[in-house]
Amino acid sequence: MSRIIVITSGKGGVGKTTCTANLGMALAQRGHKVAVVDADFGLRNLDLLLGLENRIVYTAVEVLAGECRLEQALVRDKRQPNLVLLPAAQNRTKDSVSPDQMKKLVNALTKVFSYILIDSPAGIEMGFQNAIAPAKEALVVTTPEISAVRDADRIVGLLEANGIRNAHLIINRIKPAMVAQDKMMSVKDVQEILAIPLIGVIPDDEKVIVSTNRGEPLVLAAEASQRGLAGQALQNIVRRLEGETVPFLDLTPPADDFLARLRRLFRPTE
Amino acid sequence: MNSDSSLPSLSTSSSPAPDEQMPSDEGRDVPQVRLKGEGGRLLLLLPPELDTPSAPNTWTEVCRQLQQRLMAGERFWQPHTPVHLMTRDRLLDGRQLQTIADTLTDAQLILKRVYTNRRQTAVAATMAGFSVEQQPIAQLSVTQSNPPPEGKALVEPLYIQSTVRSGVEIRHPGTVVVLGDVNPGGSIVAEGDVLVWGTLRGLAQAGSAGNGLCLIMALRLEPTQIRIADFVARAPEAPAQYQPEVAYVSEGGIRIVRAADFSRDRPI
Ligand SMILES: Nc1ncnc2c1ncn2[C@@H]1O[C@H](COP(=O)(O)OP(=O)(O)OP(=O)(O)O)[C@@H](O)[C@H]1O
Ligand SMILES: [Mg+2]
Repeated sequence: MSRIIVITSGKGGVGKTTCTANLGMALAQRGHKVAVVDADFGLRNLDLLLGLENRIVYTAVEVLAGECRLEQALVRDKRQPNLVLLPAAQNRTKDSVSPDQMKKLVNALTKVFSYILIDSPAGIEMGFQNAIAPAKEALVVTTPEISAVRDADRIVGLLEANGIRNAHLIINRIKPAMVAQDKMMSVKDVQEILAIPLIGVIPDDEKVIVSTNRGEPLVLAAEASQRGLAGQALQNIVRRLEGETVPFLDLTPPADDFLARLRRLFRPTE
Repeated sequence: MNSDSSLPSLSTSSSPAPDEQMPSDEGRDVPQVRLKGEGGRLLLLLPPELDTPSAPNTWTEVCRQLQQRLMAGERFWQPHTPVHLMTRDRLLDGRQLQTIADTLTDAQLILKRVYTNRRQTAVAATMAGFSVEQQPIAQLSVTQSNPPPEGKALVEPLYIQSTVRSGVEIRHPGTVVVLGDVNPGGSIVAEGDVLVWGTLRGLAQAGSAGNGLCLIMALRLEPTQIRIADFVARAPEAPAQYQPEVAYVSEGGIRIVRAADFSRDRPI
């Protein structure tokens, strides 16, 4: 049975596409056949984050129009042959595809791929409806900001109403130092409102932005130091997705006193 | 949940359009798609067709509203509840009727019978294999869901066993009991009391028809705003420790006390 997971958020720019690219890549690295589907018609950028932009020939819209076969539209990743991208059309609006068509497309993908990750557009309109229509599970991404959490809450409600009850929470861009100073919502604050199980906490890290610009998902980096805590957090999400129990990263800001730092050094991190 | 006879009118606005809210129940016509409980069955009321092409009640709009109502109200009826479709003077062809039936099926509801006062719709429904009643259905009091006259007893309480999330508004002409949280952006508007067995972070209104004796209670009271009858109070300062609290009207304003200190014989 393939797992069909939509990555969604409500609010824009919170890291859906970053998560989709990295989780897709990390799952592929673990030997799964993975398809990532860009459901952000008109504003696609999953191809950019994966560095596959220049290899797109056909998109989902041509497949649906019968202008090409599904296989022809799938862009295979050279670095990771287990991963393919089904691109969205850049020049069509979100209304050029219907939820039923999305279901059909994704259903065809389940014949070959064991994980199908759908990158949802922001908002709750047609594009969102398209993205969630085929999904059986959801990863709800939010940043620790009131407006993002409010939108995520709305999304959780809409997912439930659409029969997607298997939803997990990813809190992205947490800044431990700000949380410690009470200037940012904590993981606990966010969890308390959304009340769905937490599957990952990703720290704010400029390595993410660098990797975005390079079109190279963070989890691809060879060295752990290059992946950083954010890369590690993303890899941990994938392990949790697969049922492993992985402790959450210790993101407390570096304390000033030497002893505390020493203690943290010796604590087994993930 | 056994609130068949007292389904709330529930709206969730999935577009930010302010007209999402139903203007009023008193109008002669229902301006939007509505689901309404009556005597253990569910009525699906379609808005009348308007002549102007720009009218909001086009077929696509009807489909969208229906989907939305079903999504929003899913928790308020049990699966396999029969639905009676009130098309009134709206013209529907077989394909459209089938679409409605399919949409209901997706929501685990069953289209039981089609009521219409248009011959064509009745014929189309019969041809499509639905059971049909062609008559203005006065006994179902579709068009006159007037607010209860003065002094009328409230309908039975509505139990909601889930989190009321952002974007959801629950209106009920009686008391509302939430077994869960009411999140910021969610709201409860009750003609009776509002009891939240959880944290109230959104908006709650008790005695919405004007009854100042109504109460708002929550295990944790940190609302965006509370209203009782015509009184409004904003969120109280967050206390160091949360305790069950009760909000009530006294001496011309809303007061909040710990539930343990709230005495039934408070001065009114
Ligand atoms: N953990 C992080 N640390 C630092 N920057 C991040 C992090 N996560 C995401 N970003 C940055 O935030 C920006 C938006 O990310 P992304 O495109 O993944 O969001 P999105 O939710 O897909 O946006 P949209 O709603 O527009 O589709 C990008 O520039 C990305 O590099
Ligand atoms: Mg995106």
